[in-house]
Amino acid sequence: MMLEPSPIGAVPTKKFVMWLFIIADAATFGAILFGYGYLRVGSLNWTRPFAFSPSIINALVMTVVLLTSSLTMLIAVSAARDGRKSDAVRWLGATILLGVVFAVLHLREWASLIGEGWSLSANPMGGSTLVGATFFGITGLHLLHVVSGVIAIGVITIGFNRGRWDASYVETTGLYWHFVDLVWMFVFPLVYLLNAHA
Amino acid sequence: MPTLKLYVGIWLGLIAIVAIETVLAFSHLSTSALIASLLLLAIVEAGVALRYFMHLKYEPPALFWTLIPAIVFALLMMNQVWPDARRLVSLHFP
Repeated sequence: MMLEPSPIGAVPTKKFVMWLFIIADAATFGAILFGYGYLRVGSLNWTRPFAFSPSIINALVMTVVLLTSSLTMLIAVSAARDGRKSDAVRWLGATILLGVVFAVLHLREWASLIGEGWSLSANPMGGSTLVGATFFGITGLHLLHVVSGVIAIGVITIGFNRGRWDASYVETTGLYWHFVDLVWMFVFPLVYLLNAHA
Repeated sequence: MPTLKLYVGIWLGLIAIVAIETVLAFSHLSTSALIASLLLLAIVEAGVALRYFMHLKYEPPALFWTLIPAIVFALLMMNQVWPDARRLVSLHFP
């Protein structure tokens, strides 16, 4: 089978395409975070809904879980490259598990906020309703990426385990997963910490 | 390629940055100082993740120069929203 040469020298086409997706997605998240900043600066009655306990502690745990899942993904990619298939599958499984834990913690937090009266169009603290709209919008888009990533890693794990796909597929999926982590590095301080109250 | 020891060191470093961010958020800084320090730390974290976790350090330089300046430029251009955001405050009905 003839493969088209990569446009960037030694970078495989598959990986380059993932990088292009990541750059486009970074622009999307960038625009959304700038939109959040715009609304926040332009609102007179912005409220800060997050207390240190339980909201910020929960977000801290979620952050550590996501960072740890990047580490397990790196170990999985190394194992896949070295041809240690069972190790790679095990570490991919750990990454999936951590992704699921992140999503569950996130949904639990959402349920708690919704229970307090927060929604896309309601602010139980009496301030701007844009607080809920931006919070659920930004974290919802990120959560969608996490869930998509968990599904993608699951599919790749099965294909890699059956010998259908090689280590390059694991590496390309890993790139996406690290990007999801990278986005959270901005969401956590800008959406959680800047909305924390003493 | 990086070793597991390096990966674990970077992972611990990133967790330390997250801890510093949290301390800063509760240390009664002015809003502008807090935003500046949180953004700076987030950019450092992102840079480390790009270089080591996403292996940009080990890729051909052409990949970096093809992608990163473009997204940085696009994000910098988005800073044009701030004057209008500040103008919004004065447009509120009494």
